[in-house]
Amino acid sequence: MPIEEKIDIVRNNFLTDIDSFPKQKKEIEGLRSKYLGRKGFVSELFTLLADATKEDRPKLGKKLNIFKNELLDQFERKISEIRDPNIDFENNQLDFSLPGNEPRIGSLHILDQTLTEIKDIFKSIGFHLAYGPEIDDEYHNFSALNIPEHHPARDMQDTFFVDENTVLRTHTSNVQIHLMEEKEPPIRFIVPGRVYRNEAIGYKSYCLFHQVEGIYINKAVSLAELKGCLEYFVKQMFGLKRKMRFRPSFFPFTEPSAEVDIWDNERQQWMEIMGCGMVDPAVLNNVGYDTGKWNGYAFGMGVERIAMLKYGIDDIRHFYSGDIRFSKQFI
Amino acid sequence: MIISLEWLRDFVEIKENPNELSDILSNIGLEAETTDTVIETPGVIISKVKSTEKHPNADKLKICVVDDGDTLHQVICGAPNVEPGQTVPFAKVGSVLPGDFKIKQVKIRGVESNGMICSERELRISEEHDGIMVLPDKLKLGKDFKNSYGYKFYSLELDITPNRADAFSHYGVARDIACATGRKLKHLEVKNISTPKGISIPISSENIEDCCRYVGGVIKNIKVGPSPNWLVKKLKSVGQRSINNVVDISNYVLLEMGHPTHIFDYNKIPNKKILIRRAKKNEPFTTLDGQNFKLNKKHLVVTDGKSPIALAGIMGGENSSVNHKTTEVFVESAYFNPVTIRKGSKNLSLLTDASKRFERGADPNACLKAFFRVVSLLKEIAGGEIMSEVMDFYPNPIQELKVSLRYSEIISVLGYKIEKQKIENILNGLKISFKKEKDQYDCVIPSFRPDISREIDLIEEIIRIYGISAIPSISPLSGEIQYGNPDPESYLDPIKTSFCSFGFHQLFLNSLENKTEADLTGKESVHMLNPLNVDMSNLRTSLLPGLLKTADYNIKHGNLNFRLFEIGQTHYIDDSLDNIYVENKSIAAIIHGNEKNVSINSNEIKENILNLKGVIVSIFRKKLNMNLKFNKEGHPAFSRAKKIVINNKEVGFLGEINSNWIKILKLDLTTIYGFELNLTPIKEMILKKKEFKKINSYPIVQRDLNLVMEENLEAGKIINLIFKIGGKYVIKVNPFNLFFDQKAIGENKKSITFSIFLQHPSKTLEDKDVNSIIKEIIHIADKQFSAKLRA
Repeated sequence: MPIEEKIDIVRNNFLTDIDSFPKQKKEIEGLRSKYLGRKGFVSELFTLLADATKEDRPKLGKKLNIFKNELLDQFERKISEIRDPNIDFENNQLDFSLPGNEPRIGSLHILDQTLTEIKDIFKSIGFHLAYGPEIDDEYHNFSALNIPEHHPARDMQDTFFVDENTVLRTHTSNVQIHLMEEKEPPIRFIVPGRVYRNEAIGYKSYCLFHQVEGIYINKAVSLAELKGCLEYFVKQMFGLKRKMRFRPSFFPFTEPSAEVDIWDNERQQWMEIMGCGMVDPAVLNNVGYDTGKWNGYAFGMGVERIAMLKYGIDDIRHFYSGDIRFSKQFI
Repeated sequence: MIISLEWLRDFVEIKENPNELSDILSNIGLEAETTDTVIETPGVIISKVKSTEKHPNADKLKICVVDDGDTLHQVICGAPNVEPGQTVPFAKVGSVLPGDFKIKQVKIRGVESNGMICSERELRISEEHDGIMVLPDKLKLGKDFKNSYGYKFYSLELDITPNRADAFSHYGVARDIACATGRKLKHLEVKNISTPKGISIPISSENIEDCCRYVGGVIKNIKVGPSPNWLVKKLKSVGQRSINNVVDISNYVLLEMGHPTHIFDYNKIPNKKILIRRAKKNEPFTTLDGQNFKLNKKHLVVTDGKSPIALAGIMGGENSSVNHKTTEVFVESAYFNPVTIRKGSKNLSLLTDASKRFERGADPNACLKAFFRVVSLLKEIAGGEIMSEVMDFYPNPIQELKVSLRYSEIISVLGYKIEKQKIENILNGLKISFKKEKDQYDCVIPSFRPDISREIDLIEEIIRIYGISAIPSISPLSGEIQYGNPDPESYLDPIKTSFCSFGFHQLFLNSLENKTEADLTGKESVHMLNPLNVDMSNLRTSLLPGLLKTADYNIKHGNLNFRLFEIGQTHYIDDSLDNIYVENKSIAAIIHGNEKNVSINSNEIKENILNLKGVIVSIFRKKLNMNLKFNKEGHPAFSRAKKIVINNKEVGFLGEINSNWIKILKLDLTTIYGFELNLTPIKEMILKKKEFKKINSYPIVQRDLNLVMEENLEAGKIINLIFKIGGKYVIKVNPFNLFFDQKAIGENKKSITFSIFLQHPSKTLEDKDVNSIIKEIIHIADKQFSAKLRA
């Protein structure tokens, strides 16, 4: 049998053997000497050179050397694959100063984290959550909320229209109307969701943002209770010592209405964080609640604004950029 | 609206600086911010120009000697208007002007200059920079400029909420300040000028709803010219430019009283009568600022009986406007319907100081007063004399509105007892007259408060002035407990957190896309009638285009390896439904680059589709206990797409993103995998209750089968076969060691080793049982798939 054929046989055997490569040091050494040892198959092949003709000998010798290196290569690769770091560690072979093998870590978006925090605070004082459509009719987004069609109050929110009578909601208050149409009082809900405004995009405003609105309807609800509720929220969210103030304002769906400001120590100024007020009787009438019996309060805040104040984020566009460098700051 | 502090002092005492006043106003619902014109100019003092002489080395410069009352300073000045004897604001060496501009001793063309005479722009008073600011002579030399004169230009920017028509003027704001501080509100004295029996101008309105009152009169001997200094300065203090005395008067009265008036050139009203009517279809009209409009029935116009001379309540016409040749004017002071004015102004996109006030609701009872205010100023400043009767078209004077305010209701709404005296003071301060009846106030609402018509509106006024901060708060825990799961979206929590723990970053991306992007899925996307721009004209039908654009962005910023996901709403139109706008909650994810980077003990491993499959299996099958299947089916987003079926509902797809999508989205991406599924049906699936099963402690037997099969045979078929034959004994099959070698196993063949783990549920498996199962597997694998045991 020519040496070439014998090489092929040895190779095939080798390939089969390393297919199920042993894990124990002893067995590995056994396998090594079987092929590459002093009395191994490869050495045996080299002894066959003596029988070759003088002309063939250099050529065959070269072939055998290549084959030997091929086996060595494959052997080393296999060994490196099965090297067990635990054994290395015990034998002081593994360098602990090397970086740890960190599992990949993902992140929840900072808006999601902030929203969870907001939800948890309100859940702890008895609020449930409700959700509703982003595309809604004008009635639920405006008219039912006491924002008549031809009133300057409509200018407070620049609106996207998808047809003459249908809008992308400008606030989640539309869900308050759906809720009250479905449920009898008392009710106590917060409504998170994405809302849209047809506004030029800049560091302070975007064409959409996320809102959390709250509504509480019961018998003889007072402004003093609304204050208590929002003071609790601000303290839980921004710390017990955070200064806040209620400042009268105007929203068509609440009367009286107020804005809530918190004191920003860094900027040395008041920062607006939400609007609130006692639900306007006109809104309760629109959903068929008896205003002689029921009243309540409502409030609304932007999740982005809360997150920007809490974490010092200076540009609203960071939230929607999808930039992983931003995500990694809030793992 | 900009409010000047000095102007407010015409009506109420102001002791506060701009910041303090801003706080007072913000606390009563008139949100205020200080403007740029709050000038901090330390070192600028009142001085006098002693002498000026030409600079020897420069034609346009003068060497001035300035006296600050104590010392003389030599100053080089380039202003053309500098004259000896002028009183000027002088910035000494060492002072700092707005914009951090430090004044130093310098040499200008070889002559020393010690300080600077300031222009209005340098002091942030106006944009005026053509010359230095010249001050009244009576000011005392050496005094601080800001304290002795600059304060006159203090102003505040007010954000007037849409309900407050009454606060849209200096007088209105002064009334609120007086009420909040308990100071006296000075009455605005306007004399009714008696008129001789003169010309009579007939006034009529086609529809009294549109215009319920119209006051007008003719003034002669008008001399149009520049306004006097006091008027120019007042307008300047609120950021308005002086035009001429006649136009300035109308603007002045508007800013002072809040009531819009208009002044026509009387000789340009050919018919000498006034008719207010709706415009005819396509009726042409040119406003006094030169804009051409084609009007329609939406627009209300003031006509001379024939042609329009003004867009009622919005802007006058070019054809009747006052210019320097004007000698006789017609003064209009009217009340136009808020809705009519708003519709017209919106329709023409023409928002003016007048329209802003009319659409909020002007005061019909202020028409006469505003008219006489204009007339008296025309007399004072422009020499005008009234030559007509005062025409007052007011067929149905409005009735006064009475509202009862119960003390008990105030306490109930506020949750706090306010002292009655405080309530009465507030009502008085707001000029709401009332009769006290036991525990009730019968109030008469003044006509300048169209926002007050109900008891709750009065309570709002009380608390607005009283201060919400002054009311003690009550514990938020009251009312009934609600049962059930408080959050219907809590089903998302295990999904979100799992994605995070698998290395995915959650994103919140824009829902608005261009039409091409939104239409990629083949669904009909929702289009905005009034998009912000073409790139944001449609609502997304899929979360994938946004994620892919983000992938491209991150790669371009050096992040090559990432796993990203988003949960969000998607929308499309389905005409067959009642509500054609379909909204779903979707989840989508993409993976790109390396799963593992090269390290000391591992080679780099590229992300592949099985990683994504594994994530979905872990979450939906393992964690959420759902029945999960992948079927072969095409989808435009993916090449070699697989449909995701959960509990027999088709919910989404996964695969490698189609290069065609990447091309259409104009992205530089190569291999990227993704999936998207609709969470709406999943939400409805009742999560299978997790149930404890007894742990099987009988030994597990492992057998490895190395099978050689056709290259294109799916390994999954063999795995299914092993499970089928093994029945309840096979607990796990782990394929590994995929191997191709023509020489060793033949052409177009592959070999895979299957580790099979077997366990008996109730006893120790015996070798003979295992052997018969393995034998059967080998037999059937060969028979069905020609998969043979490797020799």
